[in-house]
This record gives sequence, C-alpha cells and structure tokens, in this order.
Amino acid sequence: MGTIHLFRKPQRSFFGKLLQEFRLVAADRRSWKILLFGAINLICTGFLLMWCSSTNSIALTAYTYLTIFDLFSLMTCLISYWVTMRKPSPVYSFGFERLEVLAVFASTVLAQLGALFILKESAERFLEQPEIHTGRLLVGTFVALSFNLFTMLSIRNKPFAYVSEAASTSWLQEHVADLSRSLCGIIPGLSSIFLPRMNPFVLIDLAGAFALCITYMLIEINNYFAVDTASAIAIALMTFGTMYPMSVYSGKVLLQTTPPHVIGQLDKLIREAGSVHVRIRRDANEQMVLAHVTNRLYTLVSTLTVQIFKDDWIRPALLSGPVAANVLNFSDHHIIPMPLLKGTDDLNPVTSTPTKPSSPPPEFSFNSPGKNVNPVILLNTQTRPYGLGLNHGNTPYSSMFNQGLGVPGIGATQGFRTGFTNIPSRYGTNNRIGQSRP
Amino acid sequence: MYACQKIQTVQKFPFTLSNPPTNTKRLTKYIVLLCFTKFLKAVGLFESYDLLKAVHIVQFIFILKLGTAFFMVLFQKPFSSGKTITKHQWIKIFKHAVAGCIISLLWFFGLTLCGPLRTLLLFEHSDIVVISLLSVLFTSSGGGPAKTRGAAFFIIAVICLLLFDNDDLMAKMAEHPEGHHDSALTHMLYTAIAFLGVADHKGGVLLLVLALCCKVGFHTASRKLSVDVGGAKRLQALSHLVSVLLLCPWVIVLSVTTESKVESWFSLIMPFATVIFFVMILDFYVDSICSAKMEVSKCARYGSFPIFISALLFGNFWTHPITDHLRAMNKAAHQESTEHVLSGGVVVSAVFFILSANILSSPSKRGQKGTLIGYSPEGTPLYNFMGDAFQHSSQSIPRFIKESLKQILEESDSRQIFYFLCLNMLFTFVELFYGVLTNSLGLISDGFHMLFDCSALVMGLFAALMSRWKATRIFSYGYGRIEILSGFINGLFLIVIAFFVFMESVARLIDPPELDTHMLTPVSVGGLIVNLIGICAFSHAHSHNHGASQGSCHSSDHSHSHHMHGHSDHGHGHSHGSIGGGMNANMRGVFLHVLADTLGSIGVIVSTILIEQFGWFIADPLCSLFIAILIFLSVVPLIKDACQVLLLRLPSEYEKELHIALEKIQKIEGLISYRDPHFWRHSASVVAGTIHIQVTSDVLEQRIVQQVTGILKDAGVNNLTIQVEKEAYFQHMSGLSTGFHDVLAMTKQMESMKYCKDGTYIM
Repeated sequence: MGTIHLFRKPQRSFFGKLLQEFRLVAADRRSWKILLFGAINLICTGFLLMWCSSTNSIALTAYTYLTIFDLFSLMTCLISYWVTMRKPSPVYSFGFERLEVLAVFASTVLAQLGALFILKESAERFLEQPEIHTGRLLVGTFVALSFNLFTMLSIRNKPFAYVSEAASTSWLQEHVADLSRSLCGIIPGLSSIFLPRMNPFVLIDLAGAFALCITYMLIEINNYFAVDTASAIAIALMTFGTMYPMSVYSGKVLLQTTPPHVIGQLDKLIREAGSVHVRIRRDANEQMVLAHVTNRLYTLVSTLTVQIFKDDWIRPALLSGPVAANVLNFSDHHIIPMPLLKGTDDLNPVTSTPTKPSSPPPEFSFNSPGKNVNPVILLNTQTRPYGLGLNHGNTPYSSMFNQGLGVPGIGATQGFRTGFTNIPSRYGTNNRIGQSRP
Repeated sequence: MYACQKIQTVQKFPFTLSNPPTNTKRLTKYIVLLCFTKFLKAVGLFESYDLLKAVHIVQFIFILKLGTAFFMVLFQKPFSSGKTITKHQWIKIFKHAVAGCIISLLWFFGLTLCGPLRTLLLFEHSDIVVISLLSVLFTSSGGGPAKTRGAAFFIIAVICLLLFDNDDLMAKMAEHPEGHHDSALTHMLYTAIAFLGVADHKGGVLLLVLALCCKVGFHTASRKLSVDVGGAKRLQALSHLVSVLLLCPWVIVLSVTTESKVESWFSLIMPFATVIFFVMILDFYVDSICSAKMEVSKCARYGSFPIFISALLFGNFWTHPITDHLRAMNKAAHQESTEHVLSGGVVVSAVFFILSANILSSPSKRGQKGTLIGYSPEGTPLYNFMGDAFQHSSQSIPRFIKESLKQILEESDSRQIFYFLCLNMLFTFVELFYGVLTNSLGLISDGFHMLFDCSALVMGLFAALMSRWKATRIFSYGYGRIEILSGFINGLFLIVIAFFVFMESVARLIDPPELDTHMLTPVSVGGLIVNLIGICAFSHAHSHNHGASQGSCHSSDHSHSHHMHGHSDHGHGHSHGSIGGGMNANMRGVFLHVLADTLGSIGVIVSTILIEQFGWFIADPLCSLFIAILIFLSVVPLIKDACQVLLLRLPSEYEKELHIALEKIQKIEGLISYRDPHFWRHSASVVAGTIHIQVTSDVLEQRIVQQVTGILKDAGVNNLTIQVEKEAYFQHMSGLSTGFHDVLAMTKQMESMKYCKDGTYIM
C-alpha cells in the first residue's frame, strides 16, 4: 500500500518527516526496547497469521488480533516518548500530548473493529462450518500468550497503564473480581493475589488462551468444529468488553469533556486546559481578582485563561452601591443557575466577588494536572443577557448544582502572603462553607 | 390437617422470606426428603418415557391427570372443606386447567422428542431460577455480575444441547416418514418443528425451553387464584379434575378412531401408578412442604442438584441390567441402547445447568446501586439511591420510537442517513431471505457483509443525532465534537475494511480459488443501485466538504465575508451553520463508506464480466486489490482532518484570518503584547480560542476585551476567553503563594512581551 504514496510528492515529504521524527525517538535508549519488541511482534504476528490460515481456525485469528493490538500499544508507547520531546508548535498551540490520547483511542477502536469483523466472519461460519486442523492451534496459542504476557509485563506502557486504571472496569474484570471475592471468602490467604484490580490486558490474554485450549481439547476429542466459532465469538466479546471502557474514556478526553475527577471533587469550577469567565463587582480591583482566581485554579489547570467580566462598565456613573453579585456568562453555550450563597458575600472584598466558570475547557491529555483540587469560589445566581447580544440558554441541571463552594478567608487583607496556603488539597479541605447538599 | 393449613398459608406468599428455621437438624430432614423425591421424580420421568412409546400422548396425560385428581380429591377433599367456590372462580379454574393441560402436553411431547435425560435437564428448573434468568436477560438491573454469569451459563448449557449434542436418535427420527404419527396433534407439532428447519431432537429442546417459560408464567399467574380458591392444593385438585373432564371427550374419540398399540392395559397399571405417584403427587407435596420450611432459594438449589445428577446417572444406566428392577415396564427387548444416550455435550450442559441453577437461585446480595452526586464536607462520597426507581419508569417503547424518529427526521443529515439505512437494511433482508429460501450461502454471507456495513451507518446516525444534544456539565462545549469522533471511527473502519480486502486479495493472488459467478451479477447490480442512490443523496454533503476541507482560499474567503456580514447584525455566530456544513466529518465518513461499497459492487461486476468473457480468474483478486487501495487513499484525508481537529490544531482555513487578526490586536491602543494564543476547532460550528493580553495600567479592561473579542469574532472565533493582565496582576501573582518558578516564568514572559511586539512571534 505504501508504494502508492511515492507517486505523490507531499506524501513523500510526509514520509521523510516521519523518518526524521523516528530518528529522534530512536535516539532515546528506552525506545530501543520497544522497537525490539515491535520487531519480534511483527515476526510473531506473521507466523500466527500463517498458522491461522493453515489451521483455518477463526478463534486463533481472533487471538492473533490481540497480538496486533499489542503492536499498536507499542506504537502508542513510542508516540508517548515522542510527545515528551516535542514542543508546541504554532499550529498545534497546545502541544502534542493529545496525540497520545488519540493513539490510545485509535488502537482500542481498531481492536474493537477487528472483533466486529470476527463476529461477522463467525456468523458466516455458523452457516457452513469448515474443518479445523488442530496441528498448530495449541502452538499458536502458547506462542501468542507467552509473547503477549511478556510484552505486557516487561514494557512499562505509560498511556495504557494510565487508561486502564482510570477507565471504568470492563465486565471481564468485574466477573473476575466477583469470582475472586467469593474465592477469597473460602481461602482468605489468596486475597492479596486476587483482590486488587486485575490488569485487563493480562486478563483477556489469559481468558482467550483458555478458550483456545478448550477449543483444542474439544476438537481433538470429538471433532466439534463449531466450538472454534463459539470461542472466536467469546474472544471477540471479551475484546469488546475490555476495550470499550478504555475507548470511552479516551474518547471523552478527545471530545473535550470536563474530566470526571474534576467534576466529582470540585463542582465544576475547574477545567483543564481551561478558560473561565469571571464576573466581578463594579468596584472590585480586576487585577487582584484575576490574580486570586488564577492562583486558585492554576494548580488544577495547566493552560488557564481567566476572563474578567465586569458588570455595568458601560454605565459607570449611573449606579451607585454594589451591584448584586451576579454571574454573567459570556459564552453562548450555557449558563448554570445557582442559588445565592448567603454569608459569603461580605466576608471580604476579594472573594465576595463571585466567579464562575463558563465555556469550560476540557481535559487535555491523560496526565494533565487536576487530581489535586483547591476548592475555589462561590457561585450563584441568576443570569441575564448582556448588551452585546449574546444568546443565553439556561440548561436545567440545577439539581446537580445546588451545592457551592465557598472559600472564606483567602487573602482576606491586603497582605497577600497571609491567609492562603496553596494546599494541594484533597477534596475534603475544610475551607468551605455554606454548602447545601442533597 | 392443621399442618396442611399452615403450609397453605405460607404457600400463598412463596416469595416472601418465611423466617428460615435455624435448626439445621430439622432442615437436614427436609433436604434429604427433597433429594429423595427428586430422585424418584427422575425415575418417574424415565418410566414415563418408556410408557409414552406404547401409549398415545393424550391418553397418557389423561391417565396421569385422572390418577392425580383421584388422589388429590381423596386427600384434599376440595368439595367438603373450605369455602364454596363461586362461578367466577370456576371459570378461572377452567382456564387454569386448560393452561395446565397445554403445558403438560408440551412437556411430554418434548419428552418423546428428546428423551428423559434432556427433558429433566431443561424442564426441572424452579421458578426462581427462571425468573432471575429472565430478569437478567430483559431488565438492566440483573443483580450483579454473578447473576449475569449464571444466565450466561444457562444459555451456554442450552446451546450445548442444541449444537454439541449429537444425539443418535436424530438420524433415526429423520428417517421417519411424516405420516407415521399417531394423531393430528402430534402431526401438527411435528410439522411445526420441521418447518423451523431443525432436527426433531433440537426442536424438542426448543419446545421444552418454551414450555419452561410457560410453566413459570403459569405458576406466577395462578398464585393469586390459589389464594382466592383457598390454597394451592385445593386449586391443584380441582384443576386436575377439570382437566380430566376436558380431556375425556378427546380420549374417547381417539380410542374409537385409532387402534391401540397396547397389548394389555392391565400390565401398565403398575408403571402408571409409579409415574403418577412419583412425578405428580409426591413431588408436589414435598415441594410445598419444603418451600414452607426452607427459603425458596435454598429449596431450589437443593432440589436442582439431585435431579440433574440422577438424570445423568439414569441416562447412563437406564438400559443397563442393574436398573432392571427399578423399571416397572420390562420391555427392554425392543429398544436399542443407543437411544438418547449420554454424550459429551449433554454432560457439559448438565454441568452448566447445575452451575447456573446454583448461581441463579442464590439470593441476590446486591446493594442498591446509587449514583454519585458529590462529596460531603468530610470528603466522603454521597450517593443518590432514589434515581434508580425513577430511571426505570421509562417511557413506553412506541412512544420512544416515535420521539426518536421525529428527532431523526428533523434535520437533513440524520434524515438522509436514516433513509439510506432503511434502504440498505431492506436490501439486506431481501438478500438474506432470498438466500435462506434458495439455500445460497453466497447470498447469505453477502447479507451479513451488508449488515456489517450497516453498523457504520448506524454509528453515523447516532452521531448525527447526538451532535444536536444540548450541552451538559460534562460536555460543556456541547456534543458537536461527536461528529468528528464518529468520522474518525468511520475512517478507521474503512481502513480496517481496506486492510481485510487487501489481505484477502493477496491470498487469492497467491492461490486463486475457483469462482462461481452466476449468482454474483444480480446481487452486485442490486447493491450498486442501492449505493448509487446513496451517493446521489450524500453527494450534496460531500461537495460541501471538498470546498471547505481542501482549504481553498477562495471558498473560505467567500464564506467568511458572508459570515462577517451576518455577524455585524447579529453579533453572534449562529450564522456559522453555512461554514459548519463543510467540516462535517461524520457525513464525510458515511459518504466514503457508501463510496467504498459502490466501488466494491463495480469491482465485482467488472471482474465477473472479465471472468465470464475471457476466463481471467486473476481479475478478481486484482480488482479487489485495486479497490482496497482506492478505499485506503480516499480515507486518508478524512483521517488526517479528523486527527487535526482532535489534536486541537489551529484550523487551517482560518490560519490567515487569525494571523491578520492577531496583527490587528497588536495595534490596539494601550495593548502591550499578548501571549498564549490558542485557537482550535471544537466542532463543525464552533471555533474556540483563548488568549492572554497584557495592557498598560491605565486602560479599561472591559473595553479591551470588547475590542479583542470583536476582532477575533470577525476572524471566525466564536467561543473566546480573554485574560487581561496588567502590571498589577503579576505583582499580585508574585504576592500570592504561587510557586517561584511559575512567577519567574511569568515575569520573564511579560518582559519579553514588552520588547517583542511584532505579531510574527507567535504565528
């Protein structure tokens, strides 16, 4: 397929660039190991594909796709090394860390598509079951299994390790956990081995190998060729089960959603790679507020932009006295109505100016900071369209939002060094008041 | 009698947990009793299989009911004791009896078809097992992974019986001439099974599964009636009596019209007595006693194990001389021992049945599943347990379908995809149906291939629907980006397809197979027509794409001028829709999919012609090789574009405008410099951006914000956040306890900004 590209000039330069980047990565010693494993993987996959066609077994083919997935995960690992070396370029102003996420997403989706293909093939095979030769079946199984396990355990695959921990558990993991819990009920000594969350990749490798062994046995004993198709379907379903949570997780990152840990810990104030609109009182010192908000948020959000929006700045002379602290949303997306928090307004001149996030930017890549969250700010209030003619739509999810965070006593006086210590707090930090929780 | 009454009262509510007796010794007694009864029931069923060979099934059921009714009326005295039964209740009892007759008919017919062993395995599940199985299968709240596992085991067991159990009787049954059957009824059932296209033995398995479900439904439905009538036993007695009366005319007609195969009814009295006693009476009484004394789940568990084990044992030894004295009917002579014997599949499925009965009957220990709503001040998570109940009261299915159809038809993208999907599905099902009818494997496999393709369309449809959802807290920018993700997945899908086609064609190049071309042409012409319609429908979207996605300056300039115009009166970017259509990766993906299918059909037609005209068998793999490469090449731009958007690249068609806009920003009065300009395309219609600007301390921030917003809006950025920084900000920041390094970096940046004023620095 690659030959075609040579006819087109821009493509060749693309390959040239690729080669250049590859050299860059290959300069790193860590990537040698990965390249070695990749080469072995290619050889291994080639042999396995040959055995697949010689045994005519679709279950082995399904298992081989797991090996191919391993190849993708190795590539992802390489990409993650490359990403750490690259600086943001003008066009990719955020840098390339997202490429890692994209690679994880692509490889999990490809694995699932392969599984879908297997399902289709096995549906066809149910109609006309071909004969399976068991000759190389067991050999292939064990070669693939040992290679997969070896790769999994010897290479520290940062992106996949992260995703497999952060994503929700697959059904395979759940069943194993359930089984091992009941097993540990009988033999408590095993709990240290079985109770921790199993690595999903190791799990699916073992389960697939088990299915193949059963297939081999039944075909050898009784010539039940249909077992082959059945276990192919089982392996495909397990692949789906394992890959689906991961692709959902990385897909959510790609969709620029608010990361769940941020939501859970800090009601919606923080977004990673984020921008925030803050509305302040007319008489507040904008720059001071900006400094405070930034200070509070930037531990969570790597790329932060805070827009200060001042009420009534067009008609400064008309109004006297403090305007009710309102949050006005500059973005055209949504507005989050929140009840006014009583008692926080008059605590001090700085924090009584409510801030509120809007047009919330999202998690950028897997490891962007955000686990340590400082509770910030309070929120409240009704919305009203501002004179610029922006459209506002209220999204009714108030029930989720009727808790707010108050941060009293930060920078309460002019001495900025007092009062606030930037605790990389757990969510339980005590400096909140006035929450009303359902 | 008193004891009986007590049992009856408990029987009314078999699913409320009657307080389990802690006295294990007393429990053991009942367990032993239960096991023994189940063992005897297995004996009885094996016996009745032998009987059914001689006696007609309706006669058999009649005698069974007669005997049971006789005993039960004798013991229960339904007429003399209890309150009188109203006319209304009699009607209900009549219905009960009819249903009971039908179920036992199915049951014993299944017995004749697939033998006692398989019947026992399939039919002897207690209600609680089946109910929890159904709740796992058909409701979302199955009850944890354990129950799911149990359900999977059950299904595997049934599948084992269906597929891996090469019952020797199958072959024998197949030889039967159809006219052999005794009566119209059995003949009807036989023809029904033959119509399904499965062997008799498999048909029996399906029949028994059906009967099992019916039985459970029947038991559940009759629970209320049994309370009304005054106990399950009284109901049973009356129902049996009514069914005897029901079956009576039929049996008389039968015995008049057909000659009986039975030599002497007298010799059958003993076997019938054992069957009636073991299968019907003893089982019923012991079951009701045990369910009163023990928990239902325990009862089910202890009951299922012995019956399956004894079924396996008898399956192996029934024809063996050892069990001769167990058999009341000594007619070993005419049956060969190969009939319905133990096979590997049966043993495996028995093991699975035992496991699944064990798991499914265990009381579910799941805690309520709550939804996380937040954290308490102490940091402990808070859950909401109420939501579950509300969520499950979902709207009715027709209403749901109506609503979603309305949503689909609202917009042109989803409407197009939907219509094309319908067309495709129609074609697929016609193909599959015709394939099944003519028994053509090629057609069926092509149909599966089409279904496989349809999955991409379905995904595109979902993405088109979801992209219109309102923004939520998690999807704070809205769902528009889903279209891009779906386009990306579709691109990957096509690459996978291209890869498989490529592999296949390489394999065929090496080893060209013989092709049977006569069926290919009509199918591929049909596919070609369907896909051409699709191309016509989608090409509108595609032409849009090419205009914008190639980033040709002219077209984007044009659309921008239009946009600017719109902007000046609305002040807001909803006029972006016209541009937005250009980047719809979702529609592009769907279009490419259809295009790939079209190419496939054309390839098939061309290669068929070449093969038929010139006999070039090599044409087929070459064609598919060519197609694979074409698909791959057509997908690459889509993947590239989607990747760029997903990686938050500066949108290429806006590059120039943004560059100019940033230069303009430089020239704003009072502005020192800017830093961190990030612009990215969020979805087809949203271009988001953030920028930090440094201004002199005497400038009004809000005016600057408005100016910058205006400039960038004109450049196409419609979701913008601006951070205005003055000297004071950096002082405050350094005053606050920010890390030393950050402050250092910031001040450095600020200073560099002061001197480096040309806009080329960033861009």
